[in-house]
Amino acid sequence: MLTLTINGQSREVDAPEDMPLLWVLRDHLGLVGTKYGCGIAQCGVCTVHVGGKPVRSCQLVVGDVGTRAVVTIEGVGSTPHGARLQQAWMEGSVPQCGYCQAGQIMSATALLDSNPNPDDSDIDAALAGNLCRCGTYIRIRRAIKNAAAKSA
Amino acid sequence: MKKIIGIGVAVVAAGALGFAGWLFLGRDPMSFAGGRAVALADYKGGDVTGVPAQLAGADLVKRGQYLVHAADCQACHTAPGGTPFAGGFAFNMPFGTIYSTNITPDKQTGIGNYTDAQFLGAVHQGIRADGERLYPAMPYTSYTAMTDADALAIKAYLFSLAPVSAPPKQAQLSWPYNQRGLLALWDVMFNPDERFRPNNAQSPQWNRGAYLAEAMGHCGECHTPRNVAYGLDNHRKFAGALTAGWRAYNITGDKNAGLGDWTDEDIYLYLSTGHANGHGGAAGPMGEATDNSLSYLVPDDAHALVTYLRSIPAHTSDLPRTVTTPAPASHKEGLMADADPRGERIFAGACASCHDWTGVSPVTGYATLTGVRAVNDPSATNVAQTVINGVDRKTSQGKIFMPAFGEGYSDDDIAAVANYVTGRFGAKGAHLTGRDVADLRRQASQQPNSQEAPHG
Repeated sequence: MLTLTINGQSREVDAPEDMPLLWVLRDHLGLVGTKYGCGIAQCGVCTVHVGGKPVRSCQLVVGDVGTRAVVTIEGVGSTPHGARLQQAWMEGSVPQCGYCQAGQIMSATALLDSNPNPDDSDIDAALAGNLCRCGTYIRIRRAIKNAAAKSA
Repeated sequence: MKKIIGIGVAVVAAGALGFAGWLFLGRDPMSFAGGRAVALADYKGGDVTGVPAQLAGADLVKRGQYLVHAADCQACHTAPGGTPFAGGFAFNMPFGTIYSTNITPDKQTGIGNYTDAQFLGAVHQGIRADGERLYPAMPYTSYTAMTDADALAIKAYLFSLAPVSAPPKQAQLSWPYNQRGLLALWDVMFNPDERFRPNNAQSPQWNRGAYLAEAMGHCGECHTPRNVAYGLDNHRKFAGALTAGWRAYNITGDKNAGLGDWTDEDIYLYLSTGHANGHGGAAGPMGEATDNSLSYLVPDDAHALVTYLRSIPAHTSDLPRTVTTPAPASHKEGLMADADPRGERIFAGACASCHDWTGVSPVTGYATLTGVRAVNDPSATNVAQTVINGVDRKTSQGKIFMPAFGEGYSDDDIAAVANYVTGRFGAKGAHLTGRDVADLRRQASQQPNSQEAPHG
């Protein structure tokens, strides 16, 4: 039995240690907001926060999470930057098909947490690994800037 | 005048003889240790060959299996995705391509008809059952130190496998390298054809390590540079070399280029698991050596290898000391003056999510770039190869995985990102070009080196 801290709650999971965190979240804990995309850390849709850092949960085996706190798209709205970003996402009608957007918001939140006033190149450096097949990049960038402006 | 010519000829002849002597002297891998080498039976510290004590009572096949792992027969005698030991692995060299042979006991295409004496001839002398000579890609100049008993235990294990029908692939070599007969001369020069002789001045642990490193693991075949005649140059033993498009690094005690900064525990962990925190992990050929061979050694044997490695004289080489501090968290800091923005863009999109802008991975210690030798190698050879081929290792600690980017990214892309990674996280940025990357791909490829081969 593994004990994980997920979205502020302690959760017990009966999963093999070498199972990727993404499988544990979706199949064992029912947290299906985090999506599966490429499975090789190249698309970003499975991004969650582990110990405050954005991590591709398809590549992190659950046994390596340890005591680090996990935050998923289901919980990020209760953090200040997560809430502002979700608001900005709605105001800017950012998503099109929506599949990548949970990962985009998780990466954007981690960015604002470490850098509350990012410029374009900071946004590119932090979100270049989050692909969007619909091409919503312009709206994503605008929403991040709007959220950052509200934080100030 | 005649006298002057005579003197000139004598000087040239003496020089040539001296050079040949120098090459010849470089063939002994254990001469650095001094002391007195004695016959196995005369060594006071007990038997340092064979299997470890735990397996002393095991049957012949079981003992042979341990020794097959220790000698790492499988890595070369298995084609990628092929049946183990059925051969077909390609070795691309500047003068053409040769293939490993089928060593399953198939009577037509394998070694099923080999007698014990013929098997020993192949292992010790590099001579096939039909009398033809093997190319020294088969490390018989190392295996020649193996005892008859150990070689025959290996034979017993191989003969316990299911025979696989896999006809040998034809070597594609240019003249004169396609003349196997010429190897007789090479063998006189570079194969001592002598079984292991323990060193009486050294401990049993050292001698066990020497036997494992030289007679079995044949570390020098990749880690020792080669001379002009392609023989091993043990004057610079373990100082590092380029093999099959990957750099086998300097594993001498040199503080900057070698393992001088590694603790014994670091080396032990690296050998037995293919990873040591702060130094990174094995990939490419060393990843294979770890997963097929070194990880099977019992702890005492791995420790013996550490003891032996620690005794190798330090040799400097062109490698700088590794940088052990992480890079800045912001992509805007820690740049090379002449950084190519293309490398940074690729890193941001494909690499940063696991390796982080600092180089310290939030995902797994295996993906941390800080302190890794390959990243601190200004040739960026192994960084480029790792990007091209990825890492896909299954270890007792779990799966170690990095995607292979070679198919999806161009040579110029891979050069740019390798230059960026070595510049950002290592001691000195590389200046690879797309052409260099194409060359690295060719060297590590399992396709024949058709450009050089006479029959394409």
